[in-house]
Amino acid sequence: MPTLEVESLTKRYGSARGVEDVTFAIEPGEIFGYLGPNGSGKTTTIRCIMGLLRPTSGQVRVLGRRVVAGRATEHTRLGYLPGEFHIWPGIRAARSLNVLGRLGGGRRIAERRRQLAERFDLDLRRRVGDLSKGNRQKVALIYAFQHEPDVLVLDEPTAGLDPLMRQTALELIRESAERGATVLLSSHDLGELSAVCGRAGILREGRLIEVAPISQIVQSSEHRLAVWFADGHLAPRLPAELTGVRVVRQKPGMLEVAYQGPADPVLKWLGRFAVERIATPQMSLEDAFIQYYRQPSAASVPRGGDA
Amino acid sequence: MSASARVRFPFRLLRFWFVRIAPAWLGIALLIFVMQIAVAAIIHDNHNVRTFLAFLNLLPSIVKSALGGDLLDSGSMTALLTIGYQHPFVLFLHMLYAVGVPAGLLTAEVQKGTMELILSRPVAKTHVYLCAAIVTLVGLFGLDLVMFAGTAASVRLYQFSEPIDLYLFFRIATTAGLLAATFGAFALLFAATFRRLYCAVGVSVAFLTINYFIVIVAQWWPAMQFLRRATLFYLIYYSNLWLGWPVRNMAILAAIALAAAALGALVWRRRDLFV
Repeated sequence: MPTLEVESLTKRYGSARGVEDVTFAIEPGEIFGYLGPNGSGKTTTIRCIMGLLRPTSGQVRVLGRRVVAGRATEHTRLGYLPGEFHIWPGIRAARSLNVLGRLGGGRRIAERRRQLAERFDLDLRRRVGDLSKGNRQKVALIYAFQHEPDVLVLDEPTAGLDPLMRQTALELIRESAERGATVLLSSHDLGELSAVCGRAGILREGRLIEVAPISQIVQSSEHRLAVWFADGHLAPRLPAELTGVRVVRQKPGMLEVAYQGPADPVLKWLGRFAVERIATPQMSLEDAFIQYYRQPSAASVPRGGDA
Repeated sequence: MSASARVRFPFRLLRFWFVRIAPAWLGIALLIFVMQIAVAAIIHDNHNVRTFLAFLNLLPSIVKSALGGDLLDSGSMTALLTIGYQHPFVLFLHMLYAVGVPAGLLTAEVQKGTMELILSRPVAKTHVYLCAAIVTLVGLFGLDLVMFAGTAASVRLYQFSEPIDLYLFFRIATTAGLLAATFGAFALLFAATFRRLYCAVGVSVAFLTINYFIVIVAQWWPAMQFLRRATLFYLIYYSNLWLGWPVRNMAILAAIALAAAALGALVWRRRDLFV
């Protein structure tokens, strides 16, 4: 039985769009990625799941119970990390976390909080307002994990963290899933999701346009390669036999291509030239979407596809 | 599962909010207390009273209206002591709390984003509103009890030429507390309704100020007397507190306060706090 079910969820803000007819389900112990550019409706979905917004239609079920906005359904077992974490700036981090953690009867959280603070190398005696953005994000992570919830709803959990702490946060998410927690992980970073998620849903302009295994999403994406040639005037043309490769940008002495599948044919062709420098630029999420949905195979994956 | 689904009243949030508000409350309470002592210090001396009344008569008559109007002309110590209860500074201090606390606990927490964290814990939205209402209403009643305590202390500190009926002042303080709580209830309604802090504060201050100025203008300008019934102040200012408890008016005030607070709770529960 799924731990978290979203059924035909629609949320409109007057005439403005929120999300439209979103359906997905997450099984116990699964990490489900929720991918979409800014303004695509990720936070709206999450707030409906948390009972912070009243859906226009459709419903959300958490741990088998229907979520009713404002009634804190099953919230003792929910861990939440909002996209923008704001906590009382004038109060010490430990006290804020204690007040929030013990709301509604949470107990035995002090020891867990201490362990998490050690892991994130964070001094909880400091006032939140005095902390850097990265350290405030660590407080947010401790807030979400301190009561060892069965369901975690995380909106951009690694935003502002350095690469080392990003890894720690992702490890923590993995460990939670291993002990059976269900995780909804919202992000606009495909690379981050591919590191921890089994499946992901892709949201675009308020609609869930795909639910697919993350490996499929990653494989279907294009990769990019930028090359600077030793000869500053060189402008080679792509040979016809190099299929699945397209020119993104070209100027004298420089070429950027996008390719699908293995990089080997592209690299072999480039080996004919004197290459001075090479780079692998990140595609924007929007580019990835555009490219991903060019693929006919992608459209054939049914919504709510298996993990 | 049923145990986890039960939502308990968030006493911890209530305690946290009380503690957060405590310094502001103590500051306001101290000023109100000192104000009563100061008024008593001025008026306990007959010579001072005469000078003070003569000075008041030199000022525009609306100033006298704001401090108690014709009641002061009697020269009675008891009447003059009530200046400490209706002085604009004391009313301003009450307004500060009545408007600031609901707006600070509800609207500001929503605007700052901390309400999202509170509501992501096992806390019902209505309980959060109830916590803010308790902090507001108990705090306002508390301020009026401090006001009475100020008078009681004054009576011990200074000798008056006539006996001071402290029970009368307790009656005035209690009814004033009810009036303040009613304004607090309206401020709760506005705090629950508006998304932006400046809107919640602005509308609450406007509501209170308009009520106050209508009653003052109606007192000062006979042609405008018909307006006085349109204000909440009317229910207390025009009750004869000297004779006994204005039970009917107190019941009306309590009903208005309850209705405003309940409407606020309904709006708060139904409204999407986050967009």
